[in-house]
Amino acid sequence: MAPTYNIAMVSDFFFPQPGGVESHIYQLSTKLMDRGHKVIIITHAYDGRTGVRYLTNGLKVYHVPYFVIYRSTTFPTVFSFFPMFRNIVLRERIDIVHGHASLSNLCHEAILHARTMGLRTVFTDHSLFGFADAASILTNKLLKFSLSDVDHVICVSHTCKENTVLRASLDPLMVSVIPNAVVAENFKPYSNPAEVARHSFGQDPPPARPLGPHDTITIVVISRLFYNKGTDLLTAAIPRILENHPNTRFIIAGSGPKAIDLEQMVEQNVLQDRVEMLGSIRHEEVRDVMIRGHVYLHPSLTEAFGTVIVEAASCGLYVVCTQVGGIPEVLPSHMTVFAKPEEDDLVAATGKAIAALRANKVRTELFHEQVKSMYSWTNVAIRTERVYNGISGAISEAEFYGYDASNPASWSATRGRSGVQSFALIDRLKRYYGCGIWAGKLFCLCVIIDYLIFLFLEIWWPRGKIDICPDWPRKTVDERREPGVR
Amino acid sequence: MLTTTAHLYIRRPSPTTAEFTVTTRPALTLPLRLALLSLSILRLTLFFVILFTLYTRFLTTSSLHSSPETNPLLLALASHLHTLHLSPAGQALTRLVAPIPAWLLAGISIPLLCFTVAWELHTSESLLVLRGLGIQTSTTGGFPWGSWRPATRFIPTEKIRDVLINEAFRGFEVRYYLVVVVEGEEDVVVVFPKLLPRRKIVEAVWRGVRGCLYEANDGMWYGVGKG
Repeated sequence: MAPTYNIAMVSDFFFPQPGGVESHIYQLSTKLMDRGHKVIIITHAYDGRTGVRYLTNGLKVYHVPYFVIYRSTTFPTVFSFFPMFRNIVLRERIDIVHGHASLSNLCHEAILHARTMGLRTVFTDHSLFGFADAASILTNKLLKFSLSDVDHVICVSHTCKENTVLRASLDPLMVSVIPNAVVAENFKPYSNPAEVARHSFGQDPPPARPLGPHDTITIVVISRLFYNKGTDLLTAAIPRILENHPNTRFIIAGSGPKAIDLEQMVEQNVLQDRVEMLGSIRHEEVRDVMIRGHVYLHPSLTEAFGTVIVEAASCGLYVVCTQVGGIPEVLPSHMTVFAKPEEDDLVAATGKAIAALRANKVRTELFHEQVKSMYSWTNVAIRTERVYNGISGAISEAEFYGYDASNPASWSATRGRSGVQSFALIDRLKRYYGCGIWAGKLFCLCVIIDYLIFLFLEIWWPRGKIDICPDWPRKTVDERREPGVR
Repeated sequence: MLTTTAHLYIRRPSPTTAEFTVTTRPALTLPLRLALLSLSILRLTLFFVILFTLYTRFLTTSSLHSSPETNPLLLALASHLHTLHLSPAGQALTRLVAPIPAWLLAGISIPLLCFTVAWELHTSESLLVLRGLGIQTSTTGGFPWGSWRPATRFIPTEKIRDVLINEAFRGFEVRYYLVVVVEGEEDVVVVFPKLLPRRKIVEAVWRGVRGCLYEANDGMWYGVGKG
């Protein structure tokens, strides 16, 4: 019988805020619950979304009341989260704490506290970072701190893995790559013209398929309009693309600080009839916007995975994207045209894509089935479950890390015999001490204080005084002989 | 000790009535009664000592005979207080409080006075359920800020939309609590708001309330005894 776990997903980013990390956490949690695990989510409070909530399937969400500083990240209050976190972990009987997103302070704090409390921890990194500027250096140091003692790290792409290993000085063996997935059913290509007309925002006719030589090609861009999403590149490229290709138009969805630049560009070049700006749209509307187009343009400057291009391909769009980060790993080459992240190349690549579509050389109608067979959340959940098994010792070290790695001599001194990280305070301190000349000592101090707070909490709020939550009825999986009861 | 952790008493005077009381008062044994009695005497003594201190400090300056008071009862009281004031114990107290500035003395003794009079050692909160009529919550104990009588609230049956258990963040923890959703009100009514008993009690009360309020009386009783 496969073991089941009580898992706490911790991240600053969760619904009602839209985004890739948010839907990743939700989808992964749902699929893990389908496999018989118990999953709760810990995030901070949003406007109108506070307290303890239940989502579908009995997925429980704790919106911890904390103060938000920047782009919905909470203020780093290293220790103040501990009492609350301990209470939640004890009442839900959590075994594994799974943090998401490297910009989330809540996640880093949770990992630190979880290790102090003697729980297994996993971290999923969703983003790429630089090494040069001050903010990155600080974030990287923080990441190094919290990942010094993590049991396992999951990255969404190989590029992301390389980046994370370098930033946090990790042993590459303890980093797995598990890509994102899409719910292919939610991103079906358009089936009949009536459907498109119903969802249409404007009065435009549905996209012509197959394309005639003079039919309009619609290029869709859906992204938050921030610098790192390449909005500047987009602003520069749009007038040139429209100039080169008379029968094309753009649909741009999303909002952000760069929206004003785009609007100015549209006004200056008098392109109001060829560029439609929809503003921010909800995630469930993404598909309805996508099926109105032929080409999806993704000008991002940095991207760890790029779920949106998988969604676009699933909707049967030909994808033009910049060759940065993990994007080249995501889709097979017949679905995409790559460009360097610069204006000229982006214009040229879009031209190539339009030409290929005009020549009807691309079988976009097959994309959906192909994407569906490549990406599924169930698969992601199975692979994540394997990570949980590996770190909790349910499968052997040799099986989890590979047979070469099972040689004990190749392990660092602080790792236990079974290949899992030891909880002993002295071993933990050894791991933190290596973080830097000053930082190492500072981190050790933090860990010691955290441990003392833990001891204090054990005395002040004893475990016996915390009510245990009743579990939602667990699902059972077919492979399993008995119901998953721990 | 004099108090215990919150526990539940259930009274069922009739099949359609139930009273759930959550209290911090332990069962009244003889030693406990004696302890409580001595505590009351102590509080009473403290009350009079403070009152007398205030008298010696603030009221003895006016001469006894120049007072325009004619009521013989008050005159007798004043003369007794005056003799007490002149007694050795009274003089000692006067000397003791003399160096303390007046504002500080008043600032300390007046809240202390209120405390000795008003504070109740045991908090108990109850929920009375009457089928067909409604439910009534009441709270006594602690420091009754604002009102002297127990804070009670009656909710008629037709106003009750639901009785349910919820979870919420409170301080550094997540607590279970019983709420009554009242029709036409923005906020729900929290039952046992001061004590916020633990899940076991809350669940027992919830089952009991639903059993008494909604379910047909077929001898099935959902309350599961003391928590």
